[in-house]
Amino acid sequence: MKIGIPRALGYYNYYPFWFGFFGSLGIEIVLSDKTTKKLVSEGSSLLVSETCLPVKIYMGHVLNLIDKKGVDVIYSPSIQSIAHKIYNCSKLRGLPDLVRNVVKRDFLLIEPTLDKSDKNQGLYEYLYESVAPLGITDKKAIKQASKVGWSYQNNFIGMAKDGMHPVEAMENAIKGKVVIKSQKNNYPISIAVLSHGYNLYDEHVSMQAIKKLEKLGVKAYVSENLSVGQMNQGLNVLNTNLYWANELEISGAAGSFLQNENIDGILTITAFGCGPDSLMIERITRYAKRLQKPLLNLTVDEHTGEAGFITRIEAFTDMLFRKKRANIIQNLNKQIQIDSNKQEVSKTRDSVTKSLIIGV
Amino acid sequence: MKISFPHMGNLAIALSAAIRVLGGEVVVPPYTNMRTLSLGTKYSPESICLPYKLVLGNYIEAIEAGAEAILMIDSPGTCRLGQYSDIARTTLTDLGYKVEFVNFDLYKGKLFEIYSGFKYVTGNGNPIDLINAVRVGILKIKIMDKFENLLHYCRAREIEIGTTDKRYKKALVLLDNALTIKECNEALEFGVKCLSGVEVDTKKQVLNVNITGEIYVVLDQFSNMEIEKELGRLGVHVHRQINLSDWVNGSIIPSVLRFNETHDEKAHRYAKEFIKRDIGGDAVESIGDAAIAASSDTDGLIHLLPFTCMPEIISQNILPNVRNEKDIPILSLVMDEYTGRAGFVTRLEAFVDLINRRKKTKQLLVI
Repeated sequence: MKIGIPRALGYYNYYPFWFGFFGSLGIEIVLSDKTTKKLVSEGSSLLVSETCLPVKIYMGHVLNLIDKKGVDVIYSPSIQSIAHKIYNCSKLRGLPDLVRNVVKRDFLLIEPTLDKSDKNQGLYEYLYESVAPLGITDKKAIKQASKVGWSYQNNFIGMAKDGMHPVEAMENAIKGKVVIKSQKNNYPISIAVLSHGYNLYDEHVSMQAIKKLEKLGVKAYVSENLSVGQMNQGLNVLNTNLYWANELEISGAAGSFLQNENIDGILTITAFGCGPDSLMIERITRYAKRLQKPLLNLTVDEHTGEAGFITRIEAFTDMLFRKKRANIIQNLNKQIQIDSNKQEVSKTRDSVTKSLIIGV
Repeated sequence: MKISFPHMGNLAIALSAAIRVLGGEVVVPPYTNMRTLSLGTKYSPESICLPYKLVLGNYIEAIEAGAEAILMIDSPGTCRLGQYSDIARTTLTDLGYKVEFVNFDLYKGKLFEIYSGFKYVTGNGNPIDLINAVRVGILKIKIMDKFENLLHYCRAREIEIGTTDKRYKKALVLLDNALTIKECNEALEFGVKCLSGVEVDTKKQVLNVNITGEIYVVLDQFSNMEIEKELGRLGVHVHRQINLSDWVNGSIIPSVLRFNETHDEKAHRYAKEFIKRDIGGDAVESIGDAAIAASSDTDGLIHLLPFTCMPEIISQNILPNVRNEKDIPILSLVMDEYTGRAGFVTRLEAFVDLINRRKKTKQLLVI
């Protein structure tokens, strides 16, 4: 039995879980190819131009699976809401409906819905919906498979939190390995890169932003390096509550990084036309101004040129370097002043004691 | 406390009456205009939807006019609407304005939220007054919808162009001043008489076009560039599928007190074939409306949406499929702050020409 999973959207956050879950039920996963320019244009030809880039890419991957990989079962979940009254973006909620209406091919669409607000579904009901169309209805086996899935997912989360690049962490997790690397490199400045996983880790979309930053001598921190608790505290910094299902990885992480003194600047990457991001970035920008943290927002779409992208990142890091150097020099000057003041103080003390001694 | 609220179509007439009945002081911001739009656009995030920009402009103009509190609905699980107040509060604070937001969270319990909200802003906690105020408000909304149905009928058939609009405006002024149920009914009688007096060509062959889409742009005459008027000029009888009274029925009156199938429920039933789950906003209704239009004797459907509206983009993507399967002409129009009037009218004219020709060929085929 084969199931096709598009290498887009949820793949970048939950693939290790799916790998473990479907694998232990004896279902073979077929992944689509990595995003290419051709794949994006094929996907966007099916949709109206206002649709956001990640959804266009998703369609491209669905087409790739059906046409190139010869898969006739596509797994396309709809994550409606992850907790009471915490909903996802409309486009992600209607994803399977979109696939069904737009992709005119002959295939079986598996479209489970996770809804914790209106229906108050549990994870197992959702997983049951995921495999029931394939003829697997043994609830015990599903429960067992879910546990296997979580063990893969937890390894992935652990490695990512430790500071490993999430793509690398995912590769390790799938092989069943847990690798802890010692981090020897010293970077002069650190930047927090905030974006949804499907934008940042898709090399075609983010144009390898993290690697480029590392080449420039910048340590890039991502939301995967934070714990859920830290991100929840971050929301308090921004004076807001959780509203979107995927808000923690942007707003929560931003709040946490804005308070962190080791972070020199924040870089946000959003896809053009992203509804939730437009509000989150607005809020983050306003609070970054209040808390005086440099921030650069880059918007990507299918036409974004790589050269302009790099130039802006370089300019931003240059500015951060200069700011940091100026700060260090200022601090040094202050230190020298303090030191000289101290010496003066001690000198006067000495003279006082000397005069006292002489006086005696 | 001086109370204000953003505009949405003619909602101000009903809402201000409800507050005045309770003895509150109302500041109605000037009706949405170019200044509102430029103010709103200046202080909004770049890629947010048009309604937010206009609502923010309304807020600023209301505060300039002396408002101290702003009423706004706040409902999670729809779309970005639930975050409007939150983000507007941050923006207005940064701009140095002081204003209080009173939000109706329609998910918490409709009656209680309305009661406590109105009690807070007007200082009048008398439940009998409140029931009276809500009744006047809802009655006015229903009367306005009646007026508009007449307006759409007459506009497409009027002999001297422009008379219907003049009379409609007169009727609205009278309705705006009415404060009791008796006065409202008098205004209704006057308005119906006034609009029915328009000279019309009853034998004229008109096209029937349904309008659906995102509720704000469908209802708000400024943001949809008076599409109904333009269509009326072209001899099209407009049937607006999304009305304030339907919205009130669906979102304010508790479901226990409803007996008939609302338009919403009907649209959901028709949309089942194309979309299986609710995705927030009015997306499912838009798709359902398209299917309903195909099953009735309507000649075409116009789908209005603001630029970057998340739920409507999904419905815009699904509508071509509905069009192919149900054989109904659909025109999707995206509204944003740069939409030019000339291009807009040209597209409407082309659409009307097309459906007109389609209707004629169909009639010929029948013969």
